[in-house]
Amino acid sequence: MSFLLPCPHCGPRPVDEYACFGEVTTRPAGESPSLRDLTEYVYFRDNVAGVQREWWQHRDGCGEWFLAERDTRTNEVLSISEPEPAPPV
Amino acid sequence: MRLGPQPRELIDRSQRVLFTFDGRAAGGYTGDTIGSALYASGQRVFSRSFKYHRPRGLLCCSGHCPNCLMTVDSVPNVRVCVEPIRAGAVVEPQNVWGSLDRDALAVTDKIGGPFTPVGFYYRTMIRPRFMWPLYEKVLRNLAGLGKVDERHHGHSRYDVEHRRARVLVVGGGQSGRAAALAAATRGPGVVLVDEGMRLRGAELEGVEVLAPARALGIWEGGLVPVDAGGVLYRFRAERIVVATGALEQPLVFPGNDLVGVMLPDGVRRLIRDFAIRPASRAVVLASDDDALEVADELREAGVAVPRVVDLRTAPLGRIEAKGRRGRVSAAVLDGRAVECDLVVASAGRQPSYSLLAQAGARVEYEPSRGIFVPAELPAGFEALGAVTGEGCATVHPLRSSGARNGDKSFVCVCEDVTTKDVDRAIAEGFDSIELSKRYTTVTMGPCQGKLCQLASIRLYARTTGVSEATVGTTTARPPWAPVELGLLAGPHHEPARRSSIHFRHEEAGATIQWAGPWKRPYAYGEHPEDEVRAVHESLGVIDVSTLGKILVEGPQAVELLERLYPNRFGDMKPGRIRYGVITSDGGRIMDDGTIARLADDLFYVTTTSTGADAVTAWFEWWNAVWGYDAEIVNVTGALAAVNLAGPRAREALSRLVDDPDDVAGDAFRYLDAKELDVAGVPCLALRIGFVGELGYELHFASPAGEHLWDRLVAEGAWPFGLEPQRVLRLEKAHIIVGQDTDSESNLLSAGMSWLPKLEKDDFVGKLAVEHVARREEVERLVGFTMEEDVVPAEGAQVVIEGRPGGRVTSARRSEAVGAVIGLAWLPPERCEDGTRFEIRVDRRTVGARVRHGAFYDASGARMRA
Amino acid sequence: MTELRFLSPSQCAEGSTASPLRRALDGAPEQVRDLSLQGVLELRGDIARVEAGEGEELVRLSPRRGFLFTPGDPFEAVARVRAAGVLAYDSTGALAGLALEGEQLMRRLTDLELTKLPAAGPFARVSALVLRDEGERFRVYVPQELGHDVALAVLDALAGLELAP
Ligand code: FES
Ligand SMILES: [Zn+2]
Repeated sequence: MSFLLPCPHCGPRPVDEYACFGEVTTRPAGESPSLRDLTEYVYFRDNVAGVQREWWQHRDGCGEWFLAERDTRTNEVLSISEPEPAPPV
Repeated sequence: MRLGPQPRELIDRSQRVLFTFDGRAAGGYTGDTIGSALYASGQRVFSRSFKYHRPRGLLCCSGHCPNCLMTVDSVPNVRVCVEPIRAGAVVEPQNVWGSLDRDALAVTDKIGGPFTPVGFYYRTMIRPRFMWPLYEKVLRNLAGLGKVDERHHGHSRYDVEHRRARVLVVGGGQSGRAAALAAATRGPGVVLVDEGMRLRGAELEGVEVLAPARALGIWEGGLVPVDAGGVLYRFRAERIVVATGALEQPLVFPGNDLVGVMLPDGVRRLIRDFAIRPASRAVVLASDDDALEVADELREAGVAVPRVVDLRTAPLGRIEAKGRRGRVSAAVLDGRAVECDLVVASAGRQPSYSLLAQAGARVEYEPSRGIFVPAELPAGFEALGAVTGEGCATVHPLRSSGARNGDKSFVCVCEDVTTKDVDRAIAEGFDSIELSKRYTTVTMGPCQGKLCQLASIRLYARTTGVSEATVGTTTARPPWAPVELGLLAGPHHEPARRSSIHFRHEEAGATIQWAGPWKRPYAYGEHPEDEVRAVHESLGVIDVSTLGKILVEGPQAVELLERLYPNRFGDMKPGRIRYGVITSDGGRIMDDGTIARLADDLFYVTTTSTGADAVTAWFEWWNAVWGYDAEIVNVTGALAAVNLAGPRAREALSRLVDDPDDVAGDAFRYLDAKELDVAGVPCLALRIGFVGELGYELHFASPAGEHLWDRLVAEGAWPFGLEPQRVLRLEKAHIIVGQDTDSESNLLSAGMSWLPKLEKDDFVGKLAVEHVARREEVERLVGFTMEEDVVPAEGAQVVIEGRPGGRVTSARRSEAVGAVIGLAWLPPERCEDGTRFEIRVDRRTVGARVRHGAFYDASGARMRA
Repeated sequence: MTELRFLSPSQCAEGSTASPLRRALDGAPEQVRDLSLQGVLELRGDIARVEAGEGEELVRLSPRRGFLFTPGDPFEAVARVRAAGVLAYDSTGALAGLALEGEQLMRRLTDLELTKLPAAGPFARVSALVLRDEGERFRVYVPQELGHDVALAVLDALAGLELAP
């Protein structure tokens, strides 16, 4: 793995400068979910062969977090975006 | 023997260079390679083959084959045909028992050995198992390449240099040079890499020439590492031009590996570059015009050439080389013997497409020309010259198969694989080229398939009756050229984190150990228990600068922390401290530490020593998800920290502050946080009790580390290390996250059911705690004391009624408690205070009893004093 | 309650602070100079609101993160920047600084693009902040706890270029 990943603030940099936090997941909201739903959320990932939305942090650079859409087969990064936080409850 | 001056020779005949070879004096000229110098002085056998120990001589003389590997100045596997000569070099043959000319192990060639048939290591030497180490030792000695000299470090150094290029041209032949020059007219940033000696120091206008140097591979993002000897250039190139040319392919016939069977380019190099007459009588078997020309060059060099065959027009049925003592003595062409001491033979040229294939180009077979060519280049790549297939063609390399009583026909000289071996692999069912590669190891030797891939594919196609296109090629993988591991590793720097007080510990003679990414003192003397006693009885000081330290500041700092931690913080007053634990949404305990409220909107969080980076990232990530108005700032390195602990702590501290009343009992209570100037250094002082005595953690600007440390030691504080700290915390039954807990542990099982505030709307891990609470409890972490004075290992098995029933996570001998104490995971029904169980220690079981609460100062009176 | 004085080396008594590099750079050649303990703040918030004063240098890493190098007392600079509504932390004690000379030396230690500085990125296997001055002069700031090893790596790289003993 030596592909270049664009940071929204620093531009394209080698991927080993970043920390990857994996697929974007949806946290079960509201009242207590079933054990199955909780387990799905905690342990299961789609792991697609294709385009996937992921969390990345430019660990060795600016330190900021962002989202990237990456094709897991080619490591082509289709887009990057800044997170849009859910409003605090 | 040298010829008269050649028009483009590389040698400088006025400069003799002396070195030693196999213990004897040897010499050559500046411009020679070690190989050319040896050849000129009459050396013909350069190595012994991998399995059969057959004598081998120069084959390609271009650095592509395994035949001239030697150990030079303790560096094994050096291709001496391309290694520049240097004065005083010590050159030794390798993989030899005896001498190059008389290798005792050549007997394996005659009688076969346990390891001669293909795939032998998958079938033999499997039982008995206890013999494995012996087998391995024997095989390693018999087969293989050079040995690493463990005492000598070969190269004195390896460096890595990061480079960028607008255009990187690989290959300095005609088309490569032309492409580089053309690119240079459009601006700077053009680099040309060539592996040969000719371009060394060459000047191409506007082009940076690196030669001799090898592009090792092409990775994603246009990354091309270039081996230039002691320096690895890591190029990132916008555009890559591959002009790696084509390589002559050996013909496969009985005796094709005899010393004196050479590729035309190698012969040409000996004559042109080094002015050497390669032999006295040569037979030339040509498959292209280049090879035919070599016949003329040989004649000009005074070599008799009794027979030249153009295999394109006069296909021979049978070719065989006969030898004496491993050296060619005759070529037998369709039954007619021609005496000679050199057979120049090639099947034509195959494009060197590997780098392109690594970059993602497709490779396809062209039946009309008998070659594989690159097709569909990825964006940003260009292929030029012979690598595209231009001017390339091969005849079928396989000749005279089915020879019954002739010599072996080698498909792969690196791994000593013959046509018979490949046939056998096919017969055994290895009918895919990728599988066969792994079974026979064809293409897996030092040449990386440069000289054997085409022949093996064509042999496969012929034997299995399918087309070459169907057989296909094996995946092209880096490195394309051999490289020293040291060069890939680069300079040996493993950055360690050191606190600003670190060197005081070294000066005090502390035993230093790795603790996560940090270097820390284990203990200062031979007896950690002395340091424990000092803390209990008077005063100790430990460097805890390694603790993670994070500021969380902003109008919503409370909301953020209350959602990150199971704890409550909103009810804390500024100046107070609370113990906190972070869990994941799966309920796993991730880290623990203290949270001090410094102001309404400002918190000071400490983490474990190994957790600082991960916890900071965890906080930041969640806040990227939630978007609270709060900043998370890692100040771990900005601050040094020491824990001053012991009954004399207050008294010592009071002498170092401006107003002793500031540290008086009522003014500075247990779990208070307070800013204080200590010995002239502004500190954040936290009154906490990790080690069980009255104690103050002082956090202050790192640059003042040594100053404050020195002052505390001058006040009589005994430095104590990690080991005594482990004893002290265990006496308090304080857990270490990651040692006493693992990925299965949760707040309830670790005995912290008081901590999570389930009435909160949400916190990370809340859902899991709720589920765990509903589930039947599986195990629980409890303290224990041993009945005997033995210390079980961490991880020791708990035995209940003769069966495994849990495990020990921590155990130490405590002088203060007067027993061996520890923490263990036990079944819930065995966790009553005083319950007896057993622990396996050194092949027997020793009794232990559950003990609730702290082992030492259970009421906490001492740390609250 | 707090001005975070405990973060500021400038608030420590005279003579009580020392550079994290002084052992590693003892006797180092003149191409390498110790810049540790030069005032610098870490900034968080709306960086656009920060105005660099006389002799100060603002390095913007993202719209919400940056560093301010100051020749004055960083403790006072913190107060000034905070008054402008941006969070600031004295990180003078957090960073070890090195002044270096030579593009090739830099290329041996970082793959950051030397024409696109300042930038944050890896240097000698450590996260760093790299700035460029006139010509081939550079400044590199790394976490102080890694400074010792980084300084040794720099000296080793110089030795590789045969520029240092
Ligand atoms: S003869 Fe040296 S590598 Fe082929
Ligand atoms: Zn960035």
